[in-house]
Amino acid sequence: MLFLKPLAGIIIVLALVLTQGCVVTRGTIGEPLQEEAISAIKKGTTTMAEVVSLIGAPDRIVRGNDREIFHYYYYDGKSPAMLLLLLNFIRMDVKSDNLYVFFNRNGIAEEVVYGKRTGRTQFRLWPFGD
Amino acid sequence: MTNVAVRFPSIRLVVGTLCLLLLCAGCTVRRVVFNDVVTSEQVKFIRIGQTTMLELADHIGAPDEVTESEFGVVALYNWSDTKSAGLDFGAIPRLFFPYAPTMSLNKTGITPEQFQVVFDPQWTVRAYGFSRRITDEPVVWFWPF
Repeated sequence: MLFLKPLAGIIIVLALVLTQGCVVTRGTIGEPLQEEAISAIKKGTTTMAEVVSLIGAPDRIVRGNDREIFHYYYYDGKSPAMLLLLLNFIRMDVKSDNLYVFFNRNGIAEEVVYGKRTGRTQFRLWPFGD
Repeated sequence: MTNVAVRFPSIRLVVGTLCLLLLCAGCTVRRVVFNDVVTSEQVKFIRIGQTTMLELADHIGAPDEVTESEFGVVALYNWSDTKSAGLDFGAIPRLFFPYAPTMSLNKTGITPEQFQVVFDPQWTVRAYGFSRRITDEPVVWFWPF
């Protein structure tokens, strides 16, 4: 038991020394898009009001080719940093998810375009390379 | 003499490490990567008048923005790779003196890039192109002049 106390102290000090100068930041914009709600949108039957009740109000409404397009987005950013006495490395990786619901002139969902990139956002510190 | 000869590799290692640390002293490297790069190889499949928005999204994902122009609906894919580096000459004196003025050189290269696709009223591709040419700048380049 007496041996464990100094060992725990050494581990804590070592952990503090190893992690000193480390900064981990995460930032998001909007709410993650729920894939179950997206798959519940049925082309040719789901109305504009039903889309709003499933996913919520759109972040943007765009008009294109005389049709309404609902745009939903979500951004996720991960940024680790190492701030040492003489050398600093900071990297941030930001990716976005986008969902577009195209409505016909009667307000019925005609097409759904969804792209998810945030699953590939990583905490990568090394700023060199790809 | 023998002792010094035996220790020479370790002394060389210490001196080499110190030199490396001195070279890196005051260096700051920052990088901000936004979204995935869309390459010309990835969009080779696009056929004018045939490829639809859904096919485009299946291949390269949903666009970041859809907007209407006088030529038709435009889908925009945005990405950027911002590189920034700095060298602070006051970093080493600050370790030894209570006050050392900040003398730093910094350079930041923000390179927003875009892939634009124009659609006709039938939602097939009318035209497409990259807004900028991809440049391959080094990550560490602090010289601002």
